[in-house]
Amino acid sequence: MANRQVLIRAQSLVKRYGRRAVVDGVSLAVNAGEVLAVIGPNGAGKSTTLDLILRLRRPDEGAVDYAEPELRRRIGVQLQTTPVFPGYTALENMRLAAAFHRLRPGDGELLRRLAACGLAEAAKTDAARLSGGQQKRLAIAMALVHDPKLLFLDEPTAALDPRARREVRELIGSLTKGGTSVVFTSHEMEEVHRLADRIVFISAGRILAEGTPASLLEAHNAPDLEQLYLRLTAG
Amino acid sequence: MTTVFRTLLTGQFRDAHTLFWTILLPFALLIGLGLWLDKPGYAERLLTGVLAMNILFGPGMVTPFQVMTLRNRGVFKLLRAASLPTSAFITASACARAALSLAVSACLVAAGSLFFGVRLTLPGLALMLLALLIGSLLFTAVGFISGNLARNESDTSMISNLICLPMLLASEAFYSLEHAPQWIKVFSRLHPFSHFVDLLSAAARGSWQNGAWTSLAALVAFTLICLAIAAATFRWDNENARFRILAKD
Repeated sequence: MANRQVLIRAQSLVKRYGRRAVVDGVSLAVNAGEVLAVIGPNGAGKSTTLDLILRLRRPDEGAVDYAEPELRRRIGVQLQTTPVFPGYTALENMRLAAAFHRLRPGDGELLRRLAACGLAEAAKTDAARLSGGQQKRLAIAMALVHDPKLLFLDEPTAALDPRARREVRELIGSLTKGGTSVVFTSHEMEEVHRLADRIVFISAGRILAEGTPASLLEAHNAPDLEQLYLRLTAG
Repeated sequence: MTTVFRTLLTGQFRDAHTLFWTILLPFALLIGLGLWLDKPGYAERLLTGVLAMNILFGPGMVTPFQVMTLRNRGVFKLLRAASLPTSAFITASACARAALSLAVSACLVAAGSLFFGVRLTLPGLALMLLALLIGSLLFTAVGFISGNLARNESDTSMISNLICLPMLLASEAFYSLEHAPQWIKVFSRLHPFSHFVDLLSAAARGSWQNGAWTSLAALVAFTLICLAIAAATFRWDNENARFRILAKD
């Protein structure tokens, strides 16, 4: 792990809304080829931290450095909201997502990508009429349309049924095997344990714990991540 | 950018708001009012009124809903993380709407000529095309302002109605303001829609004189002001402040 190239380094990030610091001195690194899970309670500042790392928001303090300037163009993003164009089919949404990265793949290529996310049957369906789970998978397919080197997934399995959840996990697994780095947030501790190489635990805008799942459990003498989560968030 | 333009243009024909405000309503109004108010000389006013209203309701009242929806769904945020500049997306989106508005306008002119005998000269048509292009850009910017200020659908509806309806009512789109109270006459010179109607009326008369240049200059000035306000109020998502300059990091 120590030898992995650092893709993004965030240092002492602070983001305030009014007087409240939503992110309060967060420093973390995203390494090449790893799966990094950012976990914490609702409102802990996870999504804002990701937004800051992605440079979607400007930090009030601190800095985010990318290892290479081109990396910014090689990042795929799946947001908590489902950024689909209502009134447009899943295939048209994929076409638009590709255009956002200045790509013009053929319909065959886009259909293949939709099929890889379990949406082959939904290609001609209005994206707004897809189920919540299908919209989530469409958002992931859109995030992958330009073969990103680094993928940010904000609660990728939230609101998915067990089968769809498993499909998304398998998708993440296959992506990391192909060398894609993944940063994701989740409230599913079992999922985090299964997927993550490293975990960053955030609460009230601060990092409370960081390390591999095994090292965290050992350091806090916890039987599993759920217990660790409950301990860290207690009081 | 062409992919975005083509995809968005196609999708407009499936959008209920667009179909009603931009296609169905103008034709219903032109035919309905044209048959009901069958007076000599009124056909030109009716045609220019419907053309102006079509641009006001299309770019001016449908755009806010699209802006609000795309922002709330995170599309603008996603765009910010991609390589296509947001300005290119907005331009493609505005062009798609302008293309539809121009196509509908061409059909309205044809219908006006066919059913009500409106005759347009070549210079008049050229002026009309120019007016419609600038008007489309102007009211797309107005639509962006409404969409930028709104937080949800009811906000959007209220703000766009508050902006567009007074302009429509205090204009000579469908009736003369000759006998209107003085304050309405003054107000009518202070908003862009009146100048847009004046320019279209000049085009219908086939004349570049009689104040057409003044209206054109006023329209261009309002367009620049509205574009600046639209850019200043643009928001990537609902959590950002309402006054954020349209720029990437």
